[in-house]
Amino acid sequence: MPSQLALPHLLTPYVVSPPKSSLTVVSSVLGATGNWLVLRFLYAALGNSPVSHPGYGDPEFETRKKRRVVLVSFLRGWEFWRSEAKRLGLDLARLTEKRQFAFVDGLSELFSAPSASSQPAPKPQHYPGAGIAPRATLPIRSQPVPTLLRQPLPASSGSDGASPQTVREPGPTKRLHFAGSGLAALDTIEKEITMVIDELKTSGPGEDEDEPEILLVIDQPDFLLAATGLSKGIGATEMGEWVMGLQQAVSATIAMISADSPLIHNGSTFAHQAATPLDTEHAAFAVGLAHRAEMIMQLRNLETGAARDVSGVLRVSKGGAWGQREGAAENWEEKEVLYFVQRDGSVNVFGRGE
Amino acid sequence: MAPSNISHRQTHNLLLISKLLSLRDTASPLTLLLDSLEQPATPLIKEYIRRARLSKVHVTLIAFETLKPFDGVDAFIPARRKSPSEMLKEVGAVDSSVASNSSNRRRLILIDSINPLLHSTRLDKSFHLSTFLSSFIVPSGPAASKIDSSLVITFHQDVPGRPAQSPYAPQPLTILTYLATTVIKLHSFSHILAQKAARDRSLVPPVFGLAEEQDGVLLGRLDKPIGKDSAEGGVVLEMEYRRKSGRGVLEWYLLPPASRYPATQVKEVVTLLDDHPLYRPPEEVGFADGEEEPESTFELRLTERQRRDREGVVLPYFDAQQGSGPGEGGRILYDMGEEDDFDEEEDEI
Repeated sequence: MPSQLALPHLLTPYVVSPPKSSLTVVSSVLGATGNWLVLRFLYAALGNSPVSHPGYGDPEFETRKKRRVVLVSFLRGWEFWRSEAKRLGLDLARLTEKRQFAFVDGLSELFSAPSASSQPAPKPQHYPGAGIAPRATLPIRSQPVPTLLRQPLPASSGSDGASPQTVREPGPTKRLHFAGSGLAALDTIEKEITMVIDELKTSGPGEDEDEPEILLVIDQPDFLLAATGLSKGIGATEMGEWVMGLQQAVSATIAMISADSPLIHNGSTFAHQAATPLDTEHAAFAVGLAHRAEMIMQLRNLETGAARDVSGVLRVSKGGAWGQREGAAENWEEKEVLYFVQRDGSVNVFGRGE
Repeated sequence: MAPSNISHRQTHNLLLISKLLSLRDTASPLTLLLDSLEQPATPLIKEYIRRARLSKVHVTLIAFETLKPFDGVDAFIPARRKSPSEMLKEVGAVDSSVASNSSNRRRLILIDSINPLLHSTRLDKSFHLSTFLSSFIVPSGPAASKIDSSLVITFHQDVPGRPAQSPYAPQPLTILTYLATTVIKLHSFSHILAQKAARDRSLVPPVFGLAEEQDGVLLGRLDKPIGKDSAEGGVVLEMEYRRKSGRGVLEWYLLPPASRYPATQVKEVVTLLDDHPLYRPPEEVGFADGEEEPESTFELRLTERQRRDREGVVLPYFDAQQGSGPGEGGRILYDMGEEDDFDEEEDEI
C-alpha cells in the first residue's frame, strides 16, 4: 500500500541527495506547514532502507553512503521532532548517539541568558520579572506557537537549572542564545552552529576517510529575523549572509521559510499600501533566499477550499540559482502535486485527479 | 510597416545587441539587468561569460549570492560581509594583474545581485551608489587607463527595498536606471506568449508568480511537459539602449536556451522577438493570393469592369445634396449598361 511508504514515490527524486553546495527552500503557509517535508528530508538522508532512486543532484551519487544531518530549529523543540520522527521510524536520539544527527535548539533559550553560566536559568513562572531584560524586547508579533511549545521544555529540563543538558538532553543538543545585537549576535549563533557541524564532521564511526557529507536543515530562520529585526541591526541582507555562512560549512542546505501572504505581499513591489519594516524585511529575506535556491518547494492550501482527503498543494519549482552549476543534471522536472498527511503521520502524495 | 523598414531595423538592432553582449567598443559601460524569480538572469549572464571567453575578455564576478563561481569566471570575489571599499580594493587588485598581462585589455565585471548591498543596514551615510559603481568603470591608478571595463549589474525586481532614509532621496532602482547606459529587462518567453495570446483576444493578460498575490506562491513558473523541446524555452530581453546623443533605442529580443547552440558558436544567436514564428506567426500562404471565397455554383466575384461601373454610381444622397429644390433631389441616377436588360414593365408599377 503506497500510504505505508515513508517516502512517497512522487516525492523521492526531490528529497534524496540535494546537490552539493546547493540551497533548497521549502516555503510554507500557516495552513500548510512543512514539518512533514522536513521529516522526509531527514528520512531520505538518515533512513535505514537504502533509497535506490538517484537524487536530483549527481546521478552517480551512491545513496547508500550515509549522510549526516544537522537540524537547526527555531520554531519547534526537540521533543516535537523526536516524537514526529519516531512515527516515521527514525530514532533521532539513537542517531544522535551514533553521531549521525545533531539537533540545535534555537527555540528554548534563544532569548534567555545561557543556563550554563553561574546565574540560574530563568524560569517561565516569572516572565515579567525584572532580571530578564532580553525577554522584554521580544516583539509583540512573535507567533504564539513558540510560547505554547516553550512551556513544557524548561520544566522538564531539571529544576535546578545548573546543567540541564546533561540531565535531560541526549547527545549534542545545543541551545542557541541570542545576545547583543547586529552582526556580532548572528556571528555567535553561526559559530555555535558551525561548531556542532564540525563536531559531527570529525567524530564519527570512521568507516571511510573522506569527510562525511553534512546536510543542514534550518527550520524557520525567519523567526530569528522577526524576533530581532532592524532595531537589533538585523535585516534581510544580514540574515541572507548568515545563511550563506552556514552554507559554506556544509554540503547542502535546506531552509524553511513562511510565505504567508501578509509576510510576502505587503512589502512586495506589487503592493500599493505602506508596509511595515517586518513585512519588507521578511519579503526581502524570503525572496532573496528563493533567488539563491536551486529548488523551491512551495506548500500552500488548496485554492478550492478545505478538503477531507487533501492537506495541501506542493509545487516544486526551479529557483533563481537553478542552472548556475555547469552540467546541472536535469533529471528532475517542475511539478505540482497534492498531498495528504494522515493521522498516523504518513503522507500520501498524488497528482491532481489521481 | 514597409518591408525595407523592417529589414533595416533587423540588421541595425541585431548588430546593436551583438555589440552589447560581446562588449565591443565598450558600447555600454554600465548594463543593468532587471530580473525576477519568474525569469532569473542566469542564462543571460552565462551568455555574457560565453562571449567573453570567445573574445578573451577577463571576467570578474562579484558574488553577493553565489557560493561557487560560474564556469569561465577568471576572478571570483565573494562579497559576503565586505564593505564597499574592501570590494573596490579587491577589484583593483585584480585590475593590476589584468593590466600586467597585456594580452587582454577588455574586462567584464559582473555583480550577481546588487540587492543585498542596497538592503544592507551597515551602509553608512558616506556610501553613494553612483560613486561606488563608477569607481569600477573608471578605476584610479596608473595602469588603469589601458583597460576598458564594462559593468553588468543584476537587480532582482521582486525583492522589496527598504524605504529611503530621506523622503527626498530617490530609490536605488531609480538611481540605477538613471545611471545605466543599457537596461535589459528579462521575461520568460512562455509568459510573453501567454500574455500576447490573451491580448490578442482582448483579455486581461495573465500575471505569474509573486504578482499573482496568491497565498504561499513564490514562483509560478512550471515547465510544461511539452515545453522541453518546443521553442518556448527562451528568454525575452526587453532592451533599452541609451546612445551618447541621449536618444534611446528600444527593442525586444529572444535569447534561445543555451542547449540550442554550441558554446563556441560565433554567429549571433539572439533574434528579434518579432521574427519568432511563435510570437508573430507567418501570415498564411493562402492569405496573400486572393481572398478565397466559398465554392458555389454562383459567380460571386466582380470583374474589373463591373467594379469600375459600380464605383461610378452616384448614390442618391449625393444627388440630394445639390439641393435643386424640394422634392427634386434623391433621384436614382443610373446609366444603362449594354448588358442591362431593360424592363418595360418596371415604370408601370
